[in-house]
Amino acid sequence: MRTLSITAALVCFAFLATANAEEKLSMSDADKKMYAELLESNPAEMDVAEGEQLFGELIGTPNYAKMLGVKEKDLPKYIAGFPRYVEPAKKVVTLAQSIQMAAAANEKPVPKLESKEMVKMSAYVKSLANGQKTSIDVKANKHMAEMMKLGQQVFEERRGGRGLSCNNCHSADIVGQRLRMQPLPDLGAKETAAAGTWPAYRMTQSQMVTLDKRMQQCMKNALLAEIPLGSKEIVALEVYVTNKTKGNPISVPSVKR
Amino acid sequence: MKTLIKIKPKTYAAGDIVKIDFMAMHPMETGMRKDKDTGALIPANYIDEVKFMFNDTLITKMVIWESLSVNPLMSISFKVPGAGTLKVIAKDNKGQSVESTTPITPKG
Amino acid sequence: MERRSFLKSFGAVAACAVALPHVASAAEEKKSGGPNEMNFETAVAAITGGKALTPSAKVKMEAPEIAENGAVVPVKVTVDSPMSGKDYVKAIHVLASKNGNVRCANIYLTPANGEAFFGTRIKLGGTQDVVAIAEMSDGTFLIAKQNVKVTIGGCG
Repeated sequence: MRTLSITAALVCFAFLATANAEEKLSMSDADKKMYAELLESNPAEMDVAEGEQLFGELIGTPNYAKMLGVKEKDLPKYIAGFPRYVEPAKKVVTLAQSIQMAAAANEKPVPKLESKEMVKMSAYVKSLANGQKTSIDVKANKHMAEMMKLGQQVFEERRGGRGLSCNNCHSADIVGQRLRMQPLPDLGAKETAAAGTWPAYRMTQSQMVTLDKRMQQCMKNALLAEIPLGSKEIVALEVYVTNKTKGNPISVPSVKR
Repeated sequence: MKTLIKIKPKTYAAGDIVKIDFMAMHPMETGMRKDKDTGALIPANYIDEVKFMFNDTLITKMVIWESLSVNPLMSISFKVPGAGTLKVIAKDNKGQSVESTTPITPKG
Repeated sequence: MERRSFLKSFGAVAACAVALPHVASAAEEKKSGGPNEMNFETAVAAITGGKALTPSAKVKMEAPEIAENGAVVPVKVTVDSPMSGKDYVKAIHVLASKNGNVRCANIYLTPANGEAFFGTRIKLGGTQDVVAIAEMSDGTFLIAKQNVKVTIGGCG
């Protein structure tokens, strides 16, 4: 039964790929250039500026660095390594969770991961690492290794009414095939720099979205139950997906469909 | 209303034609969207007028409709006569208005 | 049990993957036009007062031939004009021919602009022509357009 549905999925994808080869269904280079220009005046730019303000009010970069046990000048390199094991939390956390820790440490109300404030602050803090390379280290300690293993399990686990896993659309042999108008991206390719481009402005949502939220939106579309933000499983998934783009540049916020 | 003004390129001389990118943080509600929880129509709320002034002289006036995307971008050309102040006044249909300024500083 | 499950899973995957790329047609997307509802003919008449529209290569209307989504469509209009006191573009009007309210922007320029240019991002309710009308200082109206296919990509 499982084998049959995998075959069905591959047949569907193969059909789609050949159908597309005949008609003009992809954006031309001229079209792509127009969309690339969107980055010059990114609709999310003002959100990042607000994020800077909010973060300053919440804790500010000097105290944030102190809480993490890092020199302020080393923050960009440190941020490029998220998700990572953070001693005060005694577990692997995402960048957003580290901001929650900062709020608690500073005796301020802890912003919810789903909140607009958190998205803006995450984008601002991550942007401090712009130009750095994603440097997550899944071998750093046993906690990271455990999360990497869990993350891979979650990525490959078939769930939901259609028995789909992340792998059905994001495995190496599916890359490049088209789902409707979209060529499925290679999460590990340098040009994609996948995890390094989130938080991003999602045009279809007309708002900025974080990577874990984006993964939830993907799950929803694939009829999979959404894994809660901040849960061990989704942090592990973020570890696994971020590791795919290790060594590729960070540039946030980007603009995505 | 948060706004952002960008002059492209960053460095220019008097006589050059630069691009002015003006962005405002605004929901640009069309009045046709329904609130997903209540089902009620969200009232139209959009920037409807933008004026660009250089040293207090009007250089461009725009009448804008709800068809522009969220956090709209309005980009025009500007021939730099010399140093001065660029002021952009943006107003929305609810009467909310914001003034933003940026210096025009040609090199040389 | 097995056969039904196979068909169910095949059908489910097909619903997402096999469906031919969906190009949203304007007819599908038509709903109430909202408080500023106005159609193309009425909007053009309001701009030109009934005067003729002359298609012209001097008006460059840039928009993607295929738009990834309808919420943020980049648009650029450039009109070839000296923008001098005697010969300039008075206004650039941008219209989305099939939106409920076709009007997007009316840009009133002056020679201080140096160049007749307007760039923005618009919402399109479906596949349609994006139209630029340039009102010239000599009273003529020039027109150019670009058809934009609004698509639904990925998995929604």
